[in-house]
Amino acid sequence: MSRRKRMLEELDQDIRDHIERETQDNIDRGMPTEEARYAAMRKFGNVTRVKEDTREVWSFVWLEQLWQDIHFGLRMLRKSPGFAAVAILTLALGIGANTAIFSLIDAVMLRSLPVEKPSELVLLKWSARNAPNIHGYMTAGDCPTDLRPGAANPSGCSFSEPLFREVAQANVFSATAAFATSGRLNLTGNGPATVINGQLVSGDFFRTMGLKASAGRLFDPADDTPSAAPVAVLNYGYWQSAFGGSRDVVGHTIELNSVPFTIIGIAEQRFTGITPGSDYDVWLPLSDAQRMTDPMRWQNRSGDASNWWLTIIGRLKPGTQVARAQAVVSGLFRNETLHGSVPLFHAGDPVGPPMPGQGAPAGGGVQFRREMLSGGAPAPAGGKGPTVVPAPSQSGGNKPFILPAPQGAPPADRQSAPEMSSGPKTLSTVADSPQVTLVPAQTGLTGARTRYSNPLYVLMLAVGIILMIACANVAGLILARAAARQKEMAVRLALGAGRARVVRQLLTESVMLSVLGGMLGILFAYWGAHAIISFVSSNQTRPLGFATGVDLRVLGFTVAISLLTGILFGIAPTFRSARVDLTPALKEGERSAPSSGHAGGKWFSIGNALVVTQVALAIVVLVGAGLLVRTLQNLRSIDVGFDSHNVLIFGIDPTQIGYKGPQVDAFYRDLQGRLSEIPGVKSASYSMGPLLSGGLMITMFHWPGSPQDQSSEADTLPVGPNFFETLHIPFLSGRGFSASDFKLSASNSEATPTSAPTPVIVNQAFVEKYLGKEYPLGKRFGQSARDANGPASPGYEIIGLVRDAKYSDLRREIHPMMYMPQSAGGASFELRTAADPQSILPAVREVIAQVNANLPLFDVKTESEQIDRLLFQERLVARLSGFFGLLALVLACVGLYGLLSYEVSRRTREIGIRMALGARPESVLKLVLRQGVMLAIIGAAVGIGVALGVTRYLASMLYNVHANDPVTMIAVAILLMLVALAACYVPARRAMRVDPMVALRYE
Amino acid sequence: MSTKELKERIELLQGTLDLLVLRTLLLGPVHGHAIAKAIEFKSDEVLQVEQGSLYPALHRLIKRQWISVQEGVSENNRRAKFYRLTAKGRRQLALETSKWDKLAGAIARVLRPAKQGGKS
Repeated sequence: MSRRKRMLEELDQDIRDHIERETQDNIDRGMPTEEARYAAMRKFGNVTRVKEDTREVWSFVWLEQLWQDIHFGLRMLRKSPGFAAVAILTLALGIGANTAIFSLIDAVMLRSLPVEKPSELVLLKWSARNAPNIHGYMTAGDCPTDLRPGAANPSGCSFSEPLFREVAQANVFSATAAFATSGRLNLTGNGPATVINGQLVSGDFFRTMGLKASAGRLFDPADDTPSAAPVAVLNYGYWQSAFGGSRDVVGHTIELNSVPFTIIGIAEQRFTGITPGSDYDVWLPLSDAQRMTDPMRWQNRSGDASNWWLTIIGRLKPGTQVARAQAVVSGLFRNETLHGSVPLFHAGDPVGPPMPGQGAPAGGGVQFRREMLSGGAPAPAGGKGPTVVPAPSQSGGNKPFILPAPQGAPPADRQSAPEMSSGPKTLSTVADSPQVTLVPAQTGLTGARTRYSNPLYVLMLAVGIILMIACANVAGLILARAAARQKEMAVRLALGAGRARVVRQLLTESVMLSVLGGMLGILFAYWGAHAIISFVSSNQTRPLGFATGVDLRVLGFTVAISLLTGILFGIAPTFRSARVDLTPALKEGERSAPSSGHAGGKWFSIGNALVVTQVALAIVVLVGAGLLVRTLQNLRSIDVGFDSHNVLIFGIDPTQIGYKGPQVDAFYRDLQGRLSEIPGVKSASYSMGPLLSGGLMITMFHWPGSPQDQSSEADTLPVGPNFFETLHIPFLSGRGFSASDFKLSASNSEATPTSAPTPVIVNQAFVEKYLGKEYPLGKRFGQSARDANGPASPGYEIIGLVRDAKYSDLRREIHPMMYMPQSAGGASFELRTAADPQSILPAVREVIAQVNANLPLFDVKTESEQIDRLLFQERLVARLSGFFGLLALVLACVGLYGLLSYEVSRRTREIGIRMALGARPESVLKLVLRQGVMLAIIGAAVGIGVALGVTRYLASMLYNVHANDPVTMIAVAILLMLVALAACYVPARRAMRVDPMVALRYE
Repeated sequence: MSTKELKERIELLQGTLDLLVLRTLLLGPVHGHAIAKAIEFKSDEVLQVEQGSLYPALHRLIKRQWISVQEGVSENNRRAKFYRLTAKGRRQLALETSKWDKLAGAIARVLRPAKQGGKS
């Protein structure tokens, strides 16, 4: 440094000496003094540049110039604070919105699995031509599953335990793990009884994942044997919240469904479950499933090859090819399913006629039975197979995004633990070709991702467009400024500044803008992400199973976007500025420079094009937002068929603490009586699940008169006494269930049903579809004779007809539905209250504690909250897209405003002349407005054209509104025109007030 | 200054100024103006050097320690900076000269079939 300083200090003197010597030489040669000096200077060249070049040799010059540029840039920005503020704010909003949404996408979609070397983990997936002939299938929604009745090419990722043991022993993988949800567990032994979520895992699970214990130890294979003492590993977060993070917990005993478990350790903090979005409180060894009371028929599952309930993950051995491992596993799978004692798949030989299915004598199709989601208890057994289609449930209460999936193939919620049993399937003469593929666990384990992905991508598109608008906006601003600064640039070039130097100066300025915008944007992103997360969290009782926050990768993404933006929009105008033709720019007044000459005209129209683009893009976002908001409105204004106000609902499951059969019904009846005596409760009832919870049960039966091999179906909900009165579902004819109806239903669900049909109450849709004009009351259907699959079933008899009501979710059409008297199983209570339902909650808890202190309530909420949660995704998307739509609108109009303001100030002299020549202020106003309104109209037209083309991609998220809904389009266009008019009006007024004298004197 | 016609002047090739400066200093320490004069004179005033560009070149060479600088008194008794070739600079000059010869020879061989001669 000091050497550099010394060298440079003397440079001036050196140069002066040099020129003096040269002058002297010239004089010696006989030149006049003046001329000699000139010649010497000419010969020497540009002194400033020589100095600069010399300084550059000492290399800090680059930094020095950067510093100068920044200094100068800051000064320029301070000189035009309006421009700077608008540009920085615009960028910050664009970048902030993108970063916030990208943070969410990163957390939900991209983050790698929370385990060691996730790339080595593979998930086993089976596929075949036809559904397997199995009697149990359970999935917790870890991967997409398709097992609809009669579905072609079904697939899934649940396997039997024998297959898992075979794969584990085959030594294909360096480690193999299997897991399944344990469903809801009733925990006692740590304060008041609570309900927690558990996962059953094989002994090798944690070793396969490469996880370590935060305290104590994790499972080893010895824990996963029938003779081992029951042990449990806690989730770190759950340990913190429920046990205060105390290390003494290790060795402590808790009771799960009345079975004592010893806590042996706490898992790593980062691990809340292998599947994205999953959050289990506790992990238990697979072998302990049978020890607990058996709401999901775990008994005998371990040795049963036709009960598929385990998700299997393998860790590839280093250097093993996936194809080789896949061939081995697929071979094991085919061997077991095709050549086992009972073939589960069809190997390809011709078969006889279809056999009648269980409970649906003539129904040839695959029969499903899924547990009612919130209850977790088996549906009434014995002949009639009520079928619960795997509908995503929010029974756990912590799933914010409930995607009302198409009936049949949705990702079942992890707590829902739906179980399917199938009778003999329709036989085919084609081989089923069952096979297993190994997919990377990272992409195969989709979990909650599938539910989050659609809205997130829509939002990402919206914020992407906003970033484009922001860039166009800033580009327009910089263009206008570059035009205004043409004279300055010409002066700099004329004074000998290198063109590269000028370009660099301008680039520095625009990059500076984007860096400032980026920094502010990070702040916005932080707020935005927090706002979204707190909105999401407000919807659930437990924290989101995704870690979120603005992390380093996202920060890098933001910085890249902001810099790229700066360079992109900085570069075009800078090249133009540096190419300024000096003479005309210097000669003409600053104000008139841009409008004269080709360059001005050309760039002026590019400014217009930018504004049109912004308006068009804003229209696209607004139309999308409008459609989503209308979808939400439509869903909100649906007539659900019952009165959802002032209803408190909560789940309770006495079967988890050992109540059985008639005890359960007696318990409910007792509780119902006590609850309805609480002051403020008008009436109380219960059903197997609450209405509009996402859960759904379907019964398949034979309708008299239809072909023997055809089965009919109806949505089914077992309900308690007074259900219709409590929910205000009016009877159209017939009567409600009596005490004897309940007794009959209970005995019909025993192993040997009576001969009397189960009484059912049906809805209007049922009558419409199956009865037409026939008188419904007394109609019997669904009888079946005894056969190989079960005892005879007495079928059902219609005793009442009620008004249509929505069942599982709002979007689903009202299907034919039958209500039957509930017996056994878990239940959800509904209390009709006189005032705010929340206010009676303490009294409710007290009543239940009096009956049994070990029974926790779960999913406590009001029916309105339930609906809100059901609409959570729609609300989130509508709110965010609405916000982004308005943001786009504002940004586009700021762009319009900026362009017009610039135009007005540029044309001040012209306007002055017009007014001096007698133009009225109104005509000047019109002059400016006309340009703005024309741009807005063109932009709106283009935008609507684009929107017509792209909104169909939103179609799957819409309800009761067409993707090209004209009302939305027109409303959006009108809104935009109004805001655009306001944006034009300000500069137009300024133009109108131009004082001709001032304007003309100005130059 | 130059008495030659404009069209006969040749702009210096990139980087060759350094070589010329080193060659000039081989004869002994000189000050800046003298270096410029020497290059002009020796090249028959064909090489067009903007004298100012000498200074960045000198500083570049000093930074690389190929030349050193010392205060001295010039022929007309004025204080001046004298630039002197260092040992390192001498080696560099030999290296660069042979490189240049090779380059010039190669280019000449390529050009010869088409056009004979040309200024060295």
